[in-house]
Amino acid sequence: MKKVLVVDDSLSVARQLEKIINDSVEFTCVGHAKNGAEAIKVNHTENPDIICMDMNMPGMDGLTALRSLVVLDKEVKVVMVTSLGGVGDKFTEALKLGAKNIICKPFEADNVLQILREL
Amino acid sequence: MAVKFFGHFLVEKGVVSREAILAAFDIQEQKNLKLGEMALSMGYITQSDIDLTHNAQFFRDMKLGDLLVEMGIMNINQLDEVITRQKETHLYIGEALVLLASLTSEQLQHHLNEFKLDQASYVSDRIELPAGIANSKIWETAADLTYKMITRVLDLQFRTERCHIVTTLRSNLMMAALDLSGDVEARFILSVSAGVQKMVAKAILREESVENETTEILEDTVMEFVNVVCGNIAAKSSQMGQLINIGPPVTIHPPAAGIPVPDGHIALCFPIHVGDGEKMELLLLIRQ
Repeated sequence: MKKVLVVDDSLSVARQLEKIINDSVEFTCVGHAKNGAEAIKVNHTENPDIICMDMNMPGMDGLTALRSLVVLDKEVKVVMVTSLGGVGDKFTEALKLGAKNIICKPFEADNVLQILREL
Repeated sequence: MAVKFFGHFLVEKGVVSREAILAAFDIQEQKNLKLGEMALSMGYITQSDIDLTHNAQFFRDMKLGDLLVEMGIMNINQLDEVITRQKETHLYIGEALVLLASLTSEQLQHHLNEFKLDQASYVSDRIELPAGIANSKIWETAADLTYKMITRVLDLQFRTERCHIVTTLRSNLMMAALDLSGDVEARFILSVSAGVQKMVAKAILREESVENETTEILEDTVMEFVNVVCGNIAAKSSQMGQLINIGPPVTIHPPAAGIPVPDGHIALCFPIHVGDGEKMELLLLIRQ
């Protein structure tokens, strides 16, 4: 079963994502971080296979954390989960920095799981 | 379910890989000439004209083309010709993917049709604003997308009332606010009563009941809804050529007397009726 870390300052989004992940048979949620800095710490301790991370967070934002994560951990696959996915520049920047895909908010469970499976 | 552009739609659906779309972006960057580059290639201006105009842009908030005309470097007919040539030769992301053999022409047409269907519900409807509001198209889009998201994300039946200018933001249980910056400066505010807050929470959390949820979670769901709406406003605005950045959402607990609109701002109020005794308002606090 693949381990997934959820990174989002919103408690409700984190709860939705954790539910989608834990209700599946292929993935398990190993933690929730509320900003980019926390994500880097939890990635080190929990060693997830996949990180689902928001872009727009107070403190260290998602793109800044993405820059560090791809350097610190070559194995982890990062998917951005964001309401800004439809903004072309943000989408391009995230992919160029190493994000594997971008999930737009609002999201559907099927869509999230399909994207995680294809990583 | 959200506002997207075609490249994102293809990657999200797994039709093309991340690597293919990045390669297609590179081809677009090479082939799609900027206005100055196109005017240069058509022989209407020189590189030193471009440098001169770029320097002038430090002092004048004008687009390059308009400034080239104002400075007498090009005439308006030449500018129109340059813009027309840019449009005629523009390489779209789908075409770039076909060039790269990541898609066939038939596949491109098929996915374009699917994309149009996916985005059909986000085609803007006209919303009437009071006369004389600057950047009215953006605010019409903001209100229109808010209404569409209330239908699609919250699954609520509602009736809207005509937009009007207010001098005080009326009190309510809570307001979720998010700052918009970039080509416009404004605060997007959704004001909700207790009943509406629970309706939002049920939809966002996808729960039958939210009676046992904490205040923190209930407020968070309204902030998240505002975040989703504003992200989609930023996406729609970028398609219209306007850059909008969004900050993190915050919660406001307004005093009983409401919140006076600060100097230098105008406040647009869009009342939204969702049921007896419940209050929901979209408020746009726009810096003038």
